[in-house]
Amino acid sequence: MASSAPFHVAGDSDSEDDGNFNFAAADNSDDENDAQTSHRASGKSDRRASSPAAEDDEDEDEDRPSKSASKRPREDDDDDENGDEEDEEEGGVGNNDDDEDDEEEEEDEDDDDDVQHRHRRKRRKDHRAAFFDIEAEVEDEDEAEDDEKDGEEIEDFIDNAHPDDIAESGHLDDDRRHRELDRRREIESSMDAEKQAEILRARYGKRAPARGYGEMAVVPKRLLLPSVDDPGIWAVRCKEGKERDVVFSIMRRIEERSNTKDEVPIISAFERGGPNSVMKGYIYVEARRQNDIMLALDGVLDVYPRTKMILVELKDMPDLLRVTKTPNLEPGAWVRLRKPAKHAGDLAQVLDVTENGLEARVRFIPRLDYGVRDDALSRTNDGKRKRPGMPGPRPPQRLFSEVEARKRQPRNIQGNPQTGTWSYNGDDFEQGFQVKDIKIQQLDVKDVNPTLEEVTRFASGSEDGTENLDLKALAASLKDSNTNVAYVPGDVIEVYEGEQRGVIGKAVNVQGDIVTLRVMEGDLAGQTIEVPNKGLRKRFKTGDHVKVIGGSRFRDEVGMVVKIVEDRVTLLTDQTNTEVTVFSKDLREASDIGGQGSLGQYSLLDLVQLDPTTVGCIVKVDRESMVVLDQNGDTRQVMPSQIANKLPKRRTAVAADRNGSEIRLDDVVREYGGQQRQGKIIHIHRSFIFLHHNATTENAGVFVTRAGNVNTIAAKGGRATNPNAGPDLSAMNPALKRNPAAGGGNNMQPPKTFGRDRAMGQTVSIRRGGYKALVGIVKDTTDTHARVELHGKNKIVTVPKADLIFKDKVTGKTIDIYSRSGRGGFGGGGGRGGFGGAGDRPGGSRTPMGAGGGERTPAWGAPKSSARTPAWGRGETSGSRTPAWGDGSRTANPYDGSRTAYGDGNRTAYGGATSYGGSRTPAWSSSAKTPAHDGFGHGSKTPAYGSGGSSDPWGSKTPAYGVSAPTPGASGADSWGYTPGASGSSHLYDAPTPGAGLGAPTPAALSAPTPGAYAAPSPAPISAPTPGAWQGGWGADAAPTPAVGAPTPAASGGYYGAPTPAAYGGAPETPAASGEIRYADDD
Amino acid sequence: MFFLHNLERRVTLHPSYFGRNMHELVTTKLVKDVEGTCAGDYYIIAIMDTFDVSEGRILPGSGLAEFTVGYRAVVWRPFKGEVLMPDEIQYDASATPAQFTNNADIVIEQGTHVRVKIIGLRTEVGEMWAIGSINGDFLGYV
Repeated sequence: MASSAPFHVAGDSDSEDDGNFNFAAADNSDDENDAQTSHRASGKSDRRASSPAAEDDEDEDEDRPSKSASKRPREDDDDDENGDEEDEEEGGVGNNDDDEDDEEEEEDEDDDDDVQHRHRRKRRKDHRAAFFDIEAEVEDEDEAEDDEKDGEEIEDFIDNAHPDDIAESGHLDDDRRHRELDRRREIESSMDAEKQAEILRARYGKRAPARGYGEMAVVPKRLLLPSVDDPGIWAVRCKEGKERDVVFSIMRRIEERSNTKDEVPIISAFERGGPNSVMKGYIYVEARRQNDIMLALDGVLDVYPRTKMILVELKDMPDLLRVTKTPNLEPGAWVRLRKPAKHAGDLAQVLDVTENGLEARVRFIPRLDYGVRDDALSRTNDGKRKRPGMPGPRPPQRLFSEVEARKRQPRNIQGNPQTGTWSYNGDDFEQGFQVKDIKIQQLDVKDVNPTLEEVTRFASGSEDGTENLDLKALAASLKDSNTNVAYVPGDVIEVYEGEQRGVIGKAVNVQGDIVTLRVMEGDLAGQTIEVPNKGLRKRFKTGDHVKVIGGSRFRDEVGMVVKIVEDRVTLLTDQTNTEVTVFSKDLREASDIGGQGSLGQYSLLDLVQLDPTTVGCIVKVDRESMVVLDQNGDTRQVMPSQIANKLPKRRTAVAADRNGSEIRLDDVVREYGGQQRQGKIIHIHRSFIFLHHNATTENAGVFVTRAGNVNTIAAKGGRATNPNAGPDLSAMNPALKRNPAAGGGNNMQPPKTFGRDRAMGQTVSIRRGGYKALVGIVKDTTDTHARVELHGKNKIVTVPKADLIFKDKVTGKTIDIYSRSGRGGFGGGGGRGGFGGAGDRPGGSRTPMGAGGGERTPAWGAPKSSARTPAWGRGETSGSRTPAWGDGSRTANPYDGSRTAYGDGNRTAYGGATSYGGSRTPAWSSSAKTPAHDGFGHGSKTPAYGSGGSSDPWGSKTPAYGVSAPTPGASGADSWGYTPGASGSSHLYDAPTPGAGLGAPTPAALSAPTPGAYAAPSPAPISAPTPGAWQGGWGADAAPTPAVGAPTPAASGGYYGAPTPAAYGGAPETPAASGEIRYADDD
Repeated sequence: MFFLHNLERRVTLHPSYFGRNMHELVTTKLVKDVEGTCAGDYYIIAIMDTFDVSEGRILPGSGLAEFTVGYRAVVWRPFKGEVLMPDEIQYDASATPAQFTNNADIVIEQGTHVRVKIIGLRTEVGEMWAIGSINGDFLGYV
C-alpha cells in the first residue's frame, strides 16, 4: 500500500497485497502479475507435480485478461536476461522443432502465458528446472520468429550456442523430459473439456466468486464491491490518537502467533484516524465472526473490544477505504494555532513533524506579559488561585525578550544566550520565537492564508537581520487555500497540476470551483475545457501591465511585470518605480488607463490644504492613508480626515521666476541654487511651486521650492523662451491688438473722457445675459462694468457696460450718451428745460450730467455740477454732509444711506436727517429732541453756510442727496416724502434743495421733502431756519417752501407714522427702487 | 521604430488671422500643435508636409475656422522586444550603488549609453513609458 495512504492494513497470510477495495476478491485484483507471483510462490511444489494441462488451464483462466496489456514487454525483457541460458539450450532444442510446431498449433493461445510463467520460474531458479528452460527456450524461439525485433539477439545466441551444445550430456536428459512434457500436453489437450473444468474446479473452487470477472480486461469497480458473502468489518473502539499504535500491535500479534495453534483469526485491521477524521477513536477489523475479533484483540492495549462493536454496513465499506489526500505538513509550512487559547488564530510555522504524524513542532510569536498581569491579579484576587484561561486581554505578539523576563521573574528563566534558546515558565523559546509541540488536531492547516505582514515578522526575526522569507513554503501554504483565488473571465490561466497540466488558456466562464478555459496553445488549442479551480494559476508575461489585488501588502499597486519565477511575479510599479514581488494569484491584468492611485477624492499629486497655512502635494497613496509633501519640503503621513480640503488645480495660476518672467503650470524650471533640481510645475501655491520630475523616485518625483528660486527652462508652448515661435494662432491676432485702428475699431472702445462717467444715472436696458431686456438706472460704474438698479426687480446688478443700451428716460428711445448728439440730448431732456437754465449755471461742467441724467441730472447737474465739489467741501465743513455723501454714493443702498446718515446725523448736522431717521423709528422723540438741538445748530449752521457759500453748492448738494436721498425717500414712503427725509437730514441744507433744484418736480419735491425735512425735525427750530434759509436761498422756489411748512406737521405725522416702519420692514433696496421711480416720475 | 505615417487633423484658426496667408498659418499651427507630441501609441517626431488643406468652416459660437489638414509625419513607435539605444538611462537613485558595474571596465551610471530591449510599454495621456532590460545578448553597455 502506498506510503501516503492514511490507513494501514494488517492481516493474516490470506490478505494479500492488492487493490484498494476488495479484500475478499483479492486474487482477482487488477494486478495480475503480482497475484500470480504469489500463487506460484505458495503452490510451487503442487504445480510442478500437477499435470501441465491443469496448469495451462489455470493460466488460461487467470491470465487471459492481462495478457494483451502486459505480457509482451515482459517477455522481451526475459529474453534479454536469459539470453545466456537459452544459448546453452539451443542446441538440444533443434530436434524438437517439429513436435513443438504441432503442439503449438494446438496450444496457440496458451503460448504467451506459458512463456511468462516459465520465465518467471526460470529466473528464480536458473540452475535447475531444465525442464522449464527447454520449454521456455522453445517458446522463445517461436517468439523470436514472431517477433521481428528479437531477430538480432536470436542470431547472436545461435551463433554462440552452437559450438558447445551437443557435447553436453545433460541435454539428453533435458531432451527426454521435454518430450515427456509434450506427451503430457498432448494428453491434456485431448482431454475432455468437462474433465478439465472439473480438475480446475477441484483445485480453485473456493475462488469461484471471482471467476467470472477474470475474463474482463477492466473490471468495473462496482463489481468489486463487497457482498454479503464477504467477511464483515467491525469498528472497535480504541483510545483516540492511538489508532495507529493499535493496528501495529495487532500486526505484531499476527506475526507472533502465525503458525501456532492460536493464530489470529481476523483477516485485516486498519484505522482511519487522523486529526480531523470523524473515524478517529475506532479501528476497523475485518473478520468472519465477531468473536474472532474478541479473540484477536484480547489483551491489546488501548483498544476496547468489549465495548459495543459496530458492524459496518455493506454499503459503507468502500467508503471506509476511500483515500483522501490529507494535507501533509512539511517543515516550513504555515499553520494557524487553535489550541492554546491565548494564541488562537496566530500564525505558526512548522519546524518538524513527529514520526507518528500526530504532533508538530511549531514556532510562533509569543504573547507574553512577563508576569505583569499575574501580579495585578494576585493582588486583586486575595490570593485566590488564578483560574487558567481567564478571559482578559491577551498580550500582543512580541518576540521573547530575555531582559523583560529577567526583570520580573528571574528565577523562571534559564537558557543559553549564545544559541538564543530559553526556557521561561516552562515554555521554550528560540531566537525570540516560542517553540512548542502541538497536536496536529490543534492546528489549522488548511486555508491558512498567511498575510505577508504576518510572514514578514517571522522572516525578519533572523539573527543577521536579513530577510530570509521562504516564499516557497509560503506559496505552498497559499496554494492549499485556493478558495480565495478569484478567477474572472479573461484571465489567462495555466494549469500546473493534474491531467491537464501545462495547458494554457483564457478563462471564459467561472462557476464555483470550475473554470472553463479556452485553450490557447498546444494540441488542444481552440477547445474549451473545464478544470477545477485547484491546480490553476494565473499566467502573465514579462511586460504585462498588472494590478495587485488580494491580500498582499502591495494591494492596488499597478506596474509592469519584469520577472516571473514560477508563480512569483516581480513588477515595477508605475507610481514609484520600485520592484515588488507578489504571487501571481494576487495579480490581474490592469487596464492601461488605470494606475493612478487614489484614496477617496484624493489622488496622487493632488494639492491639498493641511491647515490654514500649510498645503501639501500628495506623493503616495496607501490604502488608508497618504503621504503628503508639504510646502516646507517635509513629508508627513496623513489620513484623509486630516486633510482640510483639496485645492483645485488653478490653470491660470501664475508666478514669477527668479528673473521675473512668468511661470505657469507645466512649465519646466530648474532650481537656481541648491541641488539644481529640475522639474515640471504641477502646482503653484502662493510663492511655492511644486515640481515633478520623473528621474527621481523620492516622493514620487515631487519636490517643492520657492517660485523665486527657479529659472525657466522651457515654458509650455514656448511662451517665454521661444519668442520667435510665431503668433499664437488660437487667440486673437496680436497685431490687431497692437494697432486697434487697423482692427477697424471693432471693439467699440468709448472715447476717453474724464470726469464723471456719463453713464451714471442713465436709464438703460440690458441687452444680453440673464437680465436681458430689463430696464434700470445706472447707479455706479467702473471702467468696464455698471451697476444697474433694475426697475422691474428690486435689485442692483453688475453688467458689462458693453451690454447696456442707453435709453432716453422719457421717450425710451435709444440714445448714445457718449456722442455729441447725445449731449444734445441733454438739451432734449428739456423737461428740464428750466433746468437747462440751471445747467447753464456755473455748474456748467456738470452739464454733461444734465445730458445724461435727463430730468434729474439737470436738477442737480445745474446746481451741482460745480456744486458737487463744493458740496463735498461743504460736507466736510458741516461734517454731516460728508458721510452722507459717502454712504449714499458708495453703497447706493438707500437703506444704508439713510441709516448712515442717521448715525451721522446724530452727531452732525444730520440732526435733521436724524430727525428723519428718528422719525422713522423709535428714535422719533429723541431724534426730535436731539436733532432739535444739534440739528438745529448744525443744520442751521450748515445750510446757512452752504447757502451762504453759494446757492450752487446747495444745489450741488442736493443732487448728492438726490442720490442718497431717494433712498430714504423710498423708505420714507412717498415719493418725495422720503426725499425730504433724506434731505431732511440734509434738509438742513437741502431738504429744500431738492425742491429748489428740481424745477419741474418742484412742486412735488417741495411739497414732499419739505414736510419730510421739517416734519422730522419739525421742531420748530429746524423748520424755522431751514425754510427760512431756503426760502431765502431759493426765491423762486419759495412758494413751495411755505407749502412745506404747512404740510410739514401733517406730513410729519403721516410720514413717520406709516412709512417709517415700512421702510424698515422692507428690503433696503425696495424702497430705493420705489423711491427712484417716484423720483423719476416726479421729475 | 520610425515610420512615415499619413495623418489627418483638424486645425482651428482664430478669425483675426483670416486672410491671404491663411493656409500658411494653418500649417504653422499644425506643426506647433502636433510636433513632439505623443499620440497614444506613438510620438510624432516631425511633420514632413501637409496636403489637402480643406476649406475653412466657421464653427458656430466661437467664430473660429476649422480646417481639416492631411499631413505626413515621421512618427516613432516603440515595440515590445525592440532594441533601443537611449541616450540616458534611468536608474534607481535610492539604490545604494547608483551605478552598475561588472567589476571590469564597464560602469553604467547615469548618462551612460546602453542598448536596451523593451520588455514592457505603458501609455498614458501625453506620455509613454517603457521598461527596458539590458539582460540579454548584445544588450547593455555600448
